Amino acid sequence: MIDVKNLEKSFKLYQKPSDRLKEILLRRPFHTRHHALQGVSFRVEDGETLGIIGRNGAGKSTLLKILNGVLLPDAGSLHSSGKVTGLLELGTGFDMSMSGANNIRTNGLLIGMSEAELDARRDDIIGFSELGKFINEPLRTYSSGMVMRLAFSIAIHADPDIFLVDEALSVGDGHFQQKCMRRIREFRSKGGSIIFVSHDLNAVKMLCDRVIVLSDGKVAKNADPETATNYYYQILGNEESAEVDAVVERGYGNYHAEVTAVSATGEDSRCEVLSSGETLLLTIHISARETIPDLTVGLTLRDRFGQDIFGTNTHFMDKPLSLNRGESIVVRFRVPMMVAPGKYTLSIALHEGPDHTRVCYHWWDNAAGFEVSGIRGTHFIGICQLNPTVEYLPSSEVADDRAQQPRH
Amino acid sequence: MSPALLLHFVRQDLVDRHAASALGALWTLLIPLANILIFTLVFSRLMGARLEMLGMQSLGAYSYSVYLVTGLLAWTCFANTLSRIGQVFHEKAGLIGKVKVSLFTLPLYVLISELVIYGISMSFFVAFLLLIDFQLSWHWLWLPIILAVQQLLAYSLGLIVAVLSVFLRDIRELVTLAVQFWFWLTPIVYVMTILPDKWLWLFKLNPLYHTTAAMREALIIGATPDLLTLGIIAMLGMGLLMGGLFIGKKLERDIRDFL
Repeated sequence: MIDVKNLEKSFKLYQKPSDRLKEILLRRPFHTRHHALQGVSFRVEDGETLGIIGRNGAGKSTLLKILNGVLLPDAGSLHSSGKVTGLLELGTGFDMSMSGANNIRTNGLLIGMSEAELDARRDDIIGFSELGKFINEPLRTYSSGMVMRLAFSIAIHADPDIFLVDEALSVGDGHFQQKCMRRIREFRSKGGSIIFVSHDLNAVKMLCDRVIVLSDGKVAKNADPETATNYYYQILGNEESAEVDAVVERGYGNYHAEVTAVSATGEDSRCEVLSSGETLLLTIHISARETIPDLTVGLTLRDRFGQDIFGTNTHFMDKPLSLNRGESIVVRFRVPMMVAPGKYTLSIALHEGPDHTRVCYHWWDNAAGFEVSGIRGTHFIGICQLNPTVEYLPSSEVADDRAQQPRH
Repeated sequence: MSPALLLHFVRQDLVDRHAASALGALWTLLIPLANILIFTLVFSRLMGARLEMLGMQSLGAYSYSVYLVTGLLAWTCFANTLSRIGQVFHEKAGLIGKVKVSLFTLPLYVLISELVIYGISMSFFVAFLLLIDFQLSWHWLWLPIILAVQQLLAYSLGLIVAVLSVFLRDIRELVTLAVQFWFWLTPIVYVMTILPDKWLWLFKLNPLYHTTAAMREALIIGATPDLLTLGIIAMLGMGLLMGGLFIGKKLERDIRDFL
């Protein structure tokens, strides 16, 4: 359990450190003040995982450092039950000229393990890291991945009561990450609390029971992961929308009809980041310069590799549209985003008939972009959600089907 | 800070530092040994006669060497402890910003590590003394007490320097200079009798004058050192320690912010 009430922290910014001495001696202020945290309160129960998200400079690291005890707050109280171990940096104190085994000791002691715990867990740590005989080689002969694995292994075997994790878990290969995740779940089910600071919203959604959004040193939101991350997207959206469509290629065509604006937002998130499973609202503003009797509006969804994921148009969907000269209209597609987390772009096309090869009015590549982050509903892997069903049947009922089983 | 962690820092300081070199931890022994040899052999013929007037046993050519090394080893221990503790927050800034360590017990590792080096040097020195048939007296038992007083002073001053040097980087150079001056103001390479009587009181304000004198009294002459003076210096050391801890606690938040 960790209980934080009204934490305040401000940094006095000095031109140079000696100004602090001048201040003491002359009793005159020589600093400007930066409020890093203001009135921050929250509570993390045993077995609970709290995520902390926020933009750079929102106060996340300061908060974590105070929880860890490396910075002291100006005001407010901080109570925790049990040993707090912070992973503000993986592999703290690693010495590249020393062997892996030796560094286990250094790092382990530094992050709060006792001599006895180290002895008891040394083999587990080495086993978990999968370093094998390399453990007796100096660290400088390791690949960066191996160093990371060793650092993870030590950290994850530290077994504190409260774990402070800063970004750490988003590194390492998939296989190793899974091992770490399993270990963390075990840790939680045994009643350990975790405070997880990350920019990786996917990981935050997957891991956390509750999330707080820090903004300018204040708790802007303290809610379930979905609500909190959506709120965070909105903050981001408000600040970034100004820059986003500054430089956009407007595409090509004869411009008898033109796409004047496109927006792609999540139905619930109301911004350009949404969860997998959420509906994307694609709003396309079109104005016609000429009269067009048969107008098709099409979209193509591409992933970050430029691969076409999905495309359709109003012709295929059998929704004929015609526009008079000078007329404007808003077309809204509702697309259930049953796709994997990642970044996507949308291309919009206005043409005649089923495709743009006959008459193309306006073709606009990358007219809008959005990000799918986190999965709502059933988890899946791959690029899309096929929404399977599954049932369990007694084997006697399906005996007949087995006759038609594979021919080799 | 846990004893295990403290011990680890000491070990790192003494052994791991030389991990990459071929002779490894042997360097921790070789450097003091080389120093002892230089001072005992090179200076053996200098200033010998003057010392016998001070009541030393006659050691022939080695009188001055014994006189010099006794003071020099103690001084080296003092000066290294002081100047290294003075920079300890900068040296360990990476750790202080990452893991929770007490700012006031962290420097203990420097103290212990320097004491170990002193111990090693002293063992070589004792071996040398036995070789030249020096008579060790039971007054050697005063050594730990004198050393404790001297190192208390070093720790306290070091801590004050460490706190100040967070805010004023120039302190490092200043301390290096001050330690140099201090060395020559303390009768270590020269004998007390060359000091003019007129200025003797000034030299006696220096606490290291007294600890060095006490050290020689106990080790070389084989007499009980001036316990009253030692007591006063111990009190001074305690006072400085309290003062250092006080300003340290007061500025801890700023220290952590700055590092």
